[in-house]
Amino acid sequence: MWRKAILLSLREKKIFTIFTLIYTILIFLTSLFWDLAIKEEIGAAANYLLVIFFGTSLFLSLLYAWILVSRKRRVWATFKCIGYTNKNILVLVSGMIFFTTIVGFLIVIEVLFHYTAALAYLHSEDLFLSINEILIGLVPVIITSALFIIVQLVAFFLAYRKVLKVRPIIALKKVGE
Amino acid sequence: MSAGKDVMIEAVDVNKEYRRAGAIIRALADVNLKIRSGEFVIVQGPTGCGKSTLLNVLSGLDLPDSGRIIFDGENIARATEDRLSRLRRQKIGFVFQDFNLVNTLTAIENVEAVLWPTVLRQKEIENRAISALRDVDLLDRKDHYPVQMSGGEKQRCGIARAIIHRPRVILADEATGNLDPESEKQVMALLKKINKEMETTIIFVTHRDLSQYGTKTIRMDKGRIIKIQ
Repeated sequence: MWRKAILLSLREKKIFTIFTLIYTILIFLTSLFWDLAIKEEIGAAANYLLVIFFGTSLFLSLLYAWILVSRKRRVWATFKCIGYTNKNILVLVSGMIFFTTIVGFLIVIEVLFHYTAALAYLHSEDLFLSINEILIGLVPVIITSALFIIVQLVAFFLAYRKVLKVRPIIALKKVGE
Repeated sequence: MSAGKDVMIEAVDVNKEYRRAGAIIRALADVNLKIRSGEFVIVQGPTGCGKSTLLNVLSGLDLPDSGRIIFDGENIARATEDRLSRLRRQKIGFVFQDFNLVNTLTAIENVEAVLWPTVLRQKEIENRAISALRDVDLLDRKDHYPVQMSGGEKQRCGIARAIIHRPRVILADEATGNLDPESEKQVMALLKKINKEMETTIIFVTHRDLSQYGTKTIRMDKGRIIKIQ
């Protein structure tokens, strides 16, 4: 079922792309400020920014869960008619939410690897001797992504509540009724 | 003609009321009926006569206020939601008026979706979906999305989805309501073929007179069965 959740995510091109991009930017910024906070390069402002970013992550997760369940109510109702349990549908919805964050995390890692590789290349040419460290350490990125996923548990709960409320009978109503 | 066959679905003293805008609407009034295995039942009546409510109640999508629904020997009127889901997955196939295909999935994926929650391997699911699409003569369209198909093709895909798990009963709610006369003939002939060859019980709800396709016609009005022929 998880693989089918990934399939459904990828087919929802527009919404998947938008949310993945937002998550990518959010994971990148949160990790960056986390890294700066650890290195004490910026003051208390970093802590406030981290709270804002995690709050935004929570809001996005809830929004995504709400969109996935509410906009596709007829699909989930149809799935209930053809024998899906609430749990089956929740696995699909959770998988779609979870996959978006994972892809965001992988993109950030990919970008950082390329950034580091480019930096190493430039160092080897002695072009920018003043640049002596990578942008963000791997640890803040991993911790940020893990915390984002934990924050999404709230979204899973919302999705579950909403999935329970989808009545299969909706599938039998005429479109627009 | 099928008097010797087992009773597939039985409704006993079934009542159902709705409250709409403060008024109480009696959708089903003391409905009693027996549908035998292998029958092709046309449930016919004007809009608002309770035929869709009857279909919902017979399939466990809605619960009656009173009475019993015996589905293949089991009273489902008070069954849990999980039990009803399992029953639908194993024994019931649905065909919808608006097709209800997932627009982001291809024809074969829409058919396969029924078996996703099962323990079957993907290859087995794919083979069954191909077989179901072949049965409805839609195999050449298996990689097409619903938007690339005509109304008749979409409904045939919907029928393939309804038969992939070899259900005992197919429930169709105004399944030809959105089709042109030619596609309607094709869909009804296909359902008739499934009824004969697979011995699947079919309950077809419609406001039109399609009694020529059925082995039994139930006429309803104001929540009551007024005639069975």
